[in-house]
Amino acid sequence: MQAVAQRAPASDRMIPGSEIAPGLFLVEAVVDWGRPSALIDTAFARWEAPVAHQRLLHFDTETTGLAGGTGTRAWMIGAADWLADGRFRLRQLTTTTMAAETAMLRTFARWLQPDTVLVSYNGKCYDSPLLKTRYRLARLPDPLSGLGHLDLLHPVRRHWKGVWENCRLATAERELLGVVREDDLPGSEAPAAWLSYLRGGPAVNLRRVLAHNAQDLKSVAGVLLHLAALQR
Amino acid sequence: MNALPDRYPSDEPILREPGDGRTLAQRLSKRFAARITGAFVVPGREGSFAPLPEGLPPRLAQALRSRGMAQLYSHQAEAWAATQSGAHVAIVTPTASGKSLCYTLPVLTAAMTQHAKALYLFPTKALAQDQVAELLELNQAGDLGVKAFTFDGDTPGDARQAIRLHGDIVVSNPGMLHQAILPHHTKWAQFFENLRYVVIDEVHTYRGVFGSHVANVIRRLKRVCAFYGVTPQFILCSATIGNPREHAEALIEDLVTAITESGAPTGDKHVLLWNPPVVNPDLGLRASARSQTNRIARLAIKSGMKTLVFAQSRTMVEVLTKYLKDVFDNDPRKPARIRAYRGGYLPKERRAAEREMRAGSIDGVVSTSALELGVDIGSLDVVVLNGYPGSVAATWQRFGRAGRRQQAALGVLVASSDPLDQYLVRHPEFFQGAPPEHARIQPDQPLILLDHIRCAAFELPFIGDEMFGTEVATPWLDVLGEEGVLHREGDRWEWIADSYPAIAVSLRSVADGNFVVVDRTNGRQTIIAEVDYTAAPVTLYEGAIHMIQSVPYQVERLDWEGRKAYVTRTQVDYYTDAIDYTKLKVLDCFDTSHAGCGQAHHGEVHVVRRVPGYKKIRFYTHENIGFGPVNLPDQELHTTAVWWQLAQVVLDTAFEKRHQALDGFLGAAYALHIVATVAVMAEARDLQKSVGSGDGAWFVSADVTGRGQIRGADGQPAALAADAPFTPTVYLYDAFPGGIGQSEPLFNRREDLVAQSVSLIERCSCRAGCPGCVGPVLAADEDAATTPKALALRVLALLVAL
Repeated sequence: MQAVAQRAPASDRMIPGSEIAPGLFLVEAVVDWGRPSALIDTAFARWEAPVAHQRLLHFDTETTGLAGGTGTRAWMIGAADWLADGRFRLRQLTTTTMAAETAMLRTFARWLQPDTVLVSYNGKCYDSPLLKTRYRLARLPDPLSGLGHLDLLHPVRRHWKGVWENCRLATAERELLGVVREDDLPGSEAPAAWLSYLRGGPAVNLRRVLAHNAQDLKSVAGVLLHLAALQR
Repeated sequence: MNALPDRYPSDEPILREPGDGRTLAQRLSKRFAARITGAFVVPGREGSFAPLPEGLPPRLAQALRSRGMAQLYSHQAEAWAATQSGAHVAIVTPTASGKSLCYTLPVLTAAMTQHAKALYLFPTKALAQDQVAELLELNQAGDLGVKAFTFDGDTPGDARQAIRLHGDIVVSNPGMLHQAILPHHTKWAQFFENLRYVVIDEVHTYRGVFGSHVANVIRRLKRVCAFYGVTPQFILCSATIGNPREHAEALIEDLVTAITESGAPTGDKHVLLWNPPVVNPDLGLRASARSQTNRIARLAIKSGMKTLVFAQSRTMVEVLTKYLKDVFDNDPRKPARIRAYRGGYLPKERRAAEREMRAGSIDGVVSTSALELGVDIGSLDVVVLNGYPGSVAATWQRFGRAGRRQQAALGVLVASSDPLDQYLVRHPEFFQGAPPEHARIQPDQPLILLDHIRCAAFELPFIGDEMFGTEVATPWLDVLGEEGVLHREGDRWEWIADSYPAIAVSLRSVADGNFVVVDRTNGRQTIIAEVDYTAAPVTLYEGAIHMIQSVPYQVERLDWEGRKAYVTRTQVDYYTDAIDYTKLKVLDCFDTSHAGCGQAHHGEVHVVRRVPGYKKIRFYTHENIGFGPVNLPDQELHTTAVWWQLAQVVLDTAFEKRHQALDGFLGAAYALHIVATVAVMAEARDLQKSVGSGDGAWFVSADVTGRGQIRGADGQPAALAADAPFTPTVYLYDAFPGGIGQSEPLFNRREDLVAQSVSLIERCSCRAGCPGCVGPVLAADEDAATTPKALALRVLALLVAL
């Protein structure tokens, strides 16, 4: 955890996307991927009514660690949703300074509507409380409370605990979706990638975190569709 | 087996008719005049009352009346007025004077009228539970609708959310505030936004290292409160100490209104200082304090008085409980009249003991210092101290347990053979006139401060030239930045590491987890007790008789790594007593300088505490009936120390005999220790003293005569060969792993310390030595040509800078 003595050359410090506020970068992509039906069956989560696919917002954060409490921060928020025409939209916010956190939190809040249903993998216990803490520390209203939240970890555990070696997202995506990641930066190395960038290091690993986070979002969406289909 | 008769014919006059503390004091003084070296009376006083304040909500006033409180004591009314004026308040009145009502009234009023919240901090979980029980009773009596909860390590996870959201009064402890609440303050946002009062009870326990930590936790609390836009009012309570207002102000770093006049009525308190009789005039041996304590307690209980005995160790609690139970609880069909109370019992058992004591169904209680704090056990008539508790304040706190409103109470201090005890009973004026000790803290002690700035930075970023306590935090933030846990951006320092610093900072600096005691009698597997880490080596070694409510269990196996001791019920006529000693060895010398004819050093030392064996001691006769070996890992401590040495050639010139030099070093160590504790921390247990050889080959402890006795590396008394190297060394060391940074400032002030020690001894009005200077001395020494005082001065003179 030593500070990087010398700054990496400017070419190595490139962050993809557009700088929508000082130090805050947005990557946005719209792809033809997946085939969601208009109404997603949520009986797997013991919800009574199905949910229109446009209401779903899949999200996943990258943070400075797992220690918890007020000292852990999110420095990247990825979100994915289905557009009305059935295409899949990926949006990722990356902060390159600490001060950009407030702009990131405000931007993410704007993506949430009162009828938004959050979709995550372990987000109820991890991402959501962490973001609530960050909103509180930034003195911003908390946009997450009161929203519906489908945390896929629990239904996955109900179905496959004891069947698979574990119920991590990487296992679920391999078993259910056949996803095999290449050159994936393990999630545990994401904090170091950001820290090193903050201290003037190269952005190469930060870009790999973006790719990793995008795949996580796709996998969350894919696992949701798989679980919804199980019920039919 | 029972060597003492159940009833002495000569005790009959004492037992003839029931009485109170005064009559018992008179009868004891008459019957045992030779043993009583001091007797005095602390006069009682009339109660001073005030009406219930106008501002109380009617339902609260009604609840108080329905519980028999139609008026307040004057100090409670004063506390009400002070809190309503917005001041921080410190209430310093004796035990059982109704202190808790001083904070209950403003807190409940604010909760009922403004939905304001309050945080209570108690040093122990037991006190927190007492307080919540009391609040709930009042709440129920008046249907006040106020919700009070304990929040501690035992609070289940699913209850925590509800407590954070709905608790009007959250009752916790400094450790929980430090490790669980402040680092998660955003979860407590609603609580903090409405926080109006912070109540800190038993603040006299927050001194020394622990108090310095707590003061920093309070700084962090205030910082978090400021984030939520609140500045809560502090209400602090303390038992009697010498500097209540100063101590309260040091803890919260703000001005405090102190209320020190109790309006609660008390009866007269009779105090007897009791020296056991000489049983062997040739050797000057006295009867044991234990036998005297037992006898006094027996007489008091037989006279129909509720009696509390304080013993210094858990083993002694069990021994004395057994003796009293043998007399009063020999019929198993009747409910027990005698109870033991000490740390190490399971919470359920302690609660039961407290309930029975309050209900008055118990006639005698034997306790360790666990009862010194405000655990509510109702009122008692007689308190017997088996040995001096070590400070004047603690003595009065313990005596404070006795005393009903109008009735005279009795406190008896029974001296042990310890030189300090013997000094006290020979000089009752020392005790009678001594002001209670001062509580001191040093929150800016660098390592403690750095720990808490680390925790504070985790809780909220530091911005600009933010102060932490009395200092600008910036230099410390630079250190943490270099360490890589903070990242600076513009004028903000933000936490960046993947760690939770509060977990690594222990307020009490006690290590390594409790031991559980597992009963395996007849194939059982029941946990019957817990023992803390430091007590385990001296109470749970294999072969130890471990007594619980005076039922003996033998330790069959000790699983040191697993922190478990397996015991079975047994029938024996003896108890066991561990032999333990401590020695020091220098590992690394950081710095050296001349100190007069000798040298002063500062560096790292290795402290070893070893329990080589134990003694078996027969009940009642106390004859030593055998030894057993103990095979336990040494308790080791790497820490820092400052030490002074004089070369052999210097000593040979200055002292005729080596034992005189050793006595001089012991006295010098005693004085240096007093001066040093005042200089850095003023909590004697945080800083320890030791006298030994420079190379760790031997160390010196005072033997029963108060003389220095050389002990070899194995702890056995040893004699030095005339030609053996002789470089006695006095050490002052941090009693905490790694040191707590006391030794460097001590080294920097080394010349001061020696000079102050010299003036301390010179100015002391005693002739030969006393607990105020070189340590207590025996009567024989008071006439010696070379008094301990003179010897200590001779050693110190050689160390004074030229």
